[in-house]
Amino acid sequence: MAEVSFHREIERLRLGDGETFQGEGILAVTKALLQSGVAYVGGYQGAPVSHLLDVLLEAEDLLGELGVHLQTCTNEAAAAAMLGASIHYPVRGAVTWKSIVGTNVAADALSNLASAGVTGGALIIVGEDYGEGASVIQERTHAFALKSSLWLLDPRPELPTIVRMVEKGFELSEASNTPVMVELRVRACHVFGAFKARDNVAAKVSAARRLGEPAAFSYERLSHPPATFRQERDKIDRRLPAAQTFILDNELNETLGPRDGELGIIVQGGLFNVLNGRLALAGLSDACGNVQLATHVLNVTHPLVPEAIVRFCAGKRAVLVVEEGAPEFLEQAIGQILRKADLNTALHGKDMLPAAGEVTPLVMAKGLSAFLTRYGRRVDPLAAWLDEVEAHRVAVAGVLAPLPPRPPNFCTGCPERPVFSAMQLLKREVGPVHVAADIGCHAFATFPPFSQGHSILGYGMSLASAAAVAGTQVKRPISVMGDGGFWHNGLLTGVAGAAFNRDDSVLVIMNNGYSSATGTQDIPSSQPNADGRGRGIEIEAALRSLGLTWVKRVRTYGVAGVLKTLKQAMTEPGKGLRVIIADGECQLARQRRLRPALAKAVAAGERVERTRFWVDPEVCTGDHSCMRLSGCPSLTLKPSEDPLRTDPVAHVNTDCVGCGLCGEVAHAAQLCPSFAQIDIIQNPNAWDRLRARLSGALIRLLGGRVAAAAPPPAR
Amino acid sequence: MTDAQPIRLLIAALGGEGGGVLAGWISEAAAAAGLSISRTSIPGVAQRTGATTYYIEMVRATGSAVPILGLNPAPGEVDILLATELLEAARMVQAGFVTPARTLVIAADRRVYATDEKVAMADGRAGKEGLSAALARFSKRLVLADLAAVAAASQSQLNAVVLGVLAGVQALPIGAATFRATIRAEGKAVDANLRGFEAGLKVAEAGAWPAPRPGPYSAPHPAPYSAPHPAPLPTDAREEGMNAELARFPPEARAVLREAVARLTDYQSAAYAARYLARVQRVAGEPGADGAFVRELARHLAVRMSVEDVIRVAQLKLRDARLARVAREARARQGDIVDITEYMKPGPEEVLGLLPPGPARWALQRVRHDRSWPLKVRTTRLSGFLRLRLLAGLRVWRPRTLRFAEEEAWAERWLGLVQRALAVDPAAAREVVATAALVRGYADTYKRGLANWTRIAEAVVEPGLSGALPRAHFADAVLQARLAAVKDPDGEALAATIAAITRIAAPETLAAE
Repeated sequence: MAEVSFHREIERLRLGDGETFQGEGILAVTKALLQSGVAYVGGYQGAPVSHLLDVLLEAEDLLGELGVHLQTCTNEAAAAAMLGASIHYPVRGAVTWKSIVGTNVAADALSNLASAGVTGGALIIVGEDYGEGASVIQERTHAFALKSSLWLLDPRPELPTIVRMVEKGFELSEASNTPVMVELRVRACHVFGAFKARDNVAAKVSAARRLGEPAAFSYERLSHPPATFRQERDKIDRRLPAAQTFILDNELNETLGPRDGELGIIVQGGLFNVLNGRLALAGLSDACGNVQLATHVLNVTHPLVPEAIVRFCAGKRAVLVVEEGAPEFLEQAIGQILRKADLNTALHGKDMLPAAGEVTPLVMAKGLSAFLTRYGRRVDPLAAWLDEVEAHRVAVAGVLAPLPPRPPNFCTGCPERPVFSAMQLLKREVGPVHVAADIGCHAFATFPPFSQGHSILGYGMSLASAAAVAGTQVKRPISVMGDGGFWHNGLLTGVAGAAFNRDDSVLVIMNNGYSSATGTQDIPSSQPNADGRGRGIEIEAALRSLGLTWVKRVRTYGVAGVLKTLKQAMTEPGKGLRVIIADGECQLARQRRLRPALAKAVAAGERVERTRFWVDPEVCTGDHSCMRLSGCPSLTLKPSEDPLRTDPVAHVNTDCVGCGLCGEVAHAAQLCPSFAQIDIIQNPNAWDRLRARLSGALIRLLGGRVAAAAPPPAR
Repeated sequence: MTDAQPIRLLIAALGGEGGGVLAGWISEAAAAAGLSISRTSIPGVAQRTGATTYYIEMVRATGSAVPILGLNPAPGEVDILLATELLEAARMVQAGFVTPARTLVIAADRRVYATDEKVAMADGRAGKEGLSAALARFSKRLVLADLAAVAAASQSQLNAVVLGVLAGVQALPIGAATFRATIRAEGKAVDANLRGFEAGLKVAEAGAWPAPRPGPYSAPHPAPYSAPHPAPLPTDAREEGMNAELARFPPEARAVLREAVARLTDYQSAAYAARYLARVQRVAGEPGADGAFVRELARHLAVRMSVEDVIRVAQLKLRDARLARVAREARARQGDIVDITEYMKPGPEEVLGLLPPGPARWALQRVRHDRSWPLKVRTTRLSGFLRLRLLAGLRVWRPRTLRFAEEEAWAERWLGLVQRALAVDPAAAREVVATAALVRGYADTYKRGLANWTRIAEAVVEPGLSGALPRAHFADAVLQARLAAVKDPDGEALAATIAAITRIAAPETLAAE
């Protein structure tokens, strides 16, 4: 079951004609899918689009009523391939994933899908993980649209436009027999707003109304030569013009502001709000988007419609193309359109805006200011604002030293942290080791205090990325992979490959039971339970089925045991892949389950034992070596109470979940004797009380002191 | 063209502490109050305890026009900043979002330390004073209060308290009743959230918010010692003798000396404490040893002379005040049973160090270096108590142990260097005093610290004393070496620094190479 619960959102998915839907952008997309009569949905989780799938997984009743088939795809390639249902059949399907990475994984299926073309509308909702908050390489999805002839929508980031583009996207897909991608940036996925809902539509062909017979054989629908040669021509000769006609007829792109005037701006839909904010500052727009400078908003960024571009640019001295990221595909295409139309309109874009990086308000203001100034427009308020921002930056720099960064970290009590503590200790014994990192929570080990990992090549790719390292180094490399990565890709790309080649390599699989980094979604090996989709498919059985014999399981919190097993894997003679399955349930998921249950038990008077850790401030010498081996958020600092010591001492705050890592590390690394485990028995039974009284009495008898009475209640 | 200007609100928070819920409350309440709103966030993986932000714009909807609201905060255009932590608030100042012309800042005056601050080998914390000063300087209006304490006192969450403060300062056209209704409508932990909201409301309405807890930066040097300390307090008669004794030392050093004497008496004996005072006095009599110098010398010497050997650790773990404190920190309730299990893992140096130097050295050469004895001692049970009691009882034996002999030798060596340095350059002597902080901790940490100290003594202090290192560089060289020693545990920075110092000390050699 996913991290966030969506009960209220599910109610909103049921809204009908004229009612107001309020919610996040990505949930508006979900509602729009249902309003469009979608027959099947799937995808692979990842920020910023995880919620689309999470909410649908919880909305099984509603999906059942509408007959929507929901597939939990094991990776993006599976999701893209699933759209193959729309090649022959008039069924609308939508899949979602995080781009650029998901699109990369899906690329093979996407190319084949795009070549064959679709009958039923096929939509791909891609979360463009670009700019602030992004967690992946910075590339544009646009390139895929160009190379595979997929249409790319980039709606203005407000709910009514996003919803309209999803609905129109299906129509566009069907009108041009082409799959359509809807690109939403991080902030657009999370934008909260409202739109007027429409009734949900049940598909004509769906899980509830199944087709009796498959389609007839048609070679033309296969992405196989010689059909592929005809399909390539069809893309250009028929599908492209059909799409362009649809875009024009339905006015998917918007031209705002005065039609005349010597200057104009062409902007990606997703960037319009940033543009409008800076235009308003320059006195060229207002809070409602009444722009005073001709602006062409591309809610469809591929394909462009040359005649619309020519119409917009004709008679203008210059246009500025506002486009995010590199290469500047739009600027290149518009330049070509202008040249072919023999228009003399000057074209600006990346000469005034930076070639790489997010278009923030500051970046936009600089570009806009350069553009307007170049053509003799006064930009006083804009220039004044830029000066103020710079003056403020200088003033702040004079007062505030660079601040320590705060990257994401393993949660308190995370089961993966102890494995990296053990790997730090391993380095002391066997020296530095090449570590192939992967995608997932365990990638946080690349940040301090662990700072481990030589490369990240993609989700589930760690073992494959270490193949040639294993073949060219004395010491075996260690590859770290999550169970998420294992099922996404790692089993085949990594493990089967290493087994096949008898790679001399070590693989650590973090078996925490979920795809945790994306929001604790279920994966094939998740334990089956009432609300989850886990099937309990065994990782170990999968490994053994490939003929691997060196497979060991460790409990992650036992640092000494993990260390010993790692050392064995590194040093034992012989060839072949050694796999360590590190078992430890995701603490986020565990606490979500345990906390309410324990609170209930305590309230009901049941005996409950609770554990947490404590640092003795009198014994701690303040050298913080424990933190360099842990990094747990609950293991922190506090000022020393000792007037003879000035450095802060270690302190375990009340967030501690008692995972035991502090004590294990203190032991395994022989750190210091200041850690103590505290066991609190709530609602103790008669035996507990007798035992405590007896120990207390004996200790007192021997001159010791124990708490005379029950401790004072917590503050 | 409309003149309506949106209100822009930015939230800076740590992942996983309810910033998203806070943003949700504000935007739902704004919608209920008839405002058009847009809210967005950059959670991503930052939800895993990293820094994260939420951004809201709201504007009074006029007629049928649909506002185009921004999704990105712009520098200098944020009206309200809510921050659940001081460093994150300051980060927003650095990003240009807090400006004297318009920004109201409501920030929780508390520090949650970032990993980089925690892993420093000495004190790596970003100064609290500097952070709040930046907020005070660049905000238009600042509500900086220990809202986490307010939350704890009202048994609620910080985000609800922040919401209450926001409602209380009346910076938004949204009434408190609307916020309350929003919390109720959300339906999760309603009672606790309402409690927090009301507590926050009071903070704002009172206008006087609770003063921040005194952190290390509001009192850069240790505040008067007030923590419960078990050391035997001198009786009145002893007190008088003590006062006379201390009168021989500069006033700045007396508080430290008094504390040190009590500690060393508890640690070993009154005679041991007297030996300590004699040592301090030996150096305090030298020219150039001013009050501050003597205080630091006395402080470091006391720490080293009360080194946490196995005996001391056992003694500390049997403190009677400890159990009550543990129970309080563990939030145990009336009637709960609290057990303490101590984690100890003495190595050969710790265990064999209890023997007299001769036999100890003999045994140490024969035992495996990486041998150690992991112990989990339950001190709240008889057997665990007895074991520690036995160890603590070895106190009278301590002066005969190898560890004691080694510590004594070290202290004499260090004091000797300090004395000789005083004769050369008091500023350098001050730095030699400070190097004592490098020797601390247990096992490997202790060995590494001692090794680093020895390298500095040999490669920096001795050349300074002999004149090989020019006097003008002496003090700074010792300081740089000490800072380098705590930069990384692998000693790379120290090696580089010592190499640089060696080049200064012997330029001819370098030129000859």
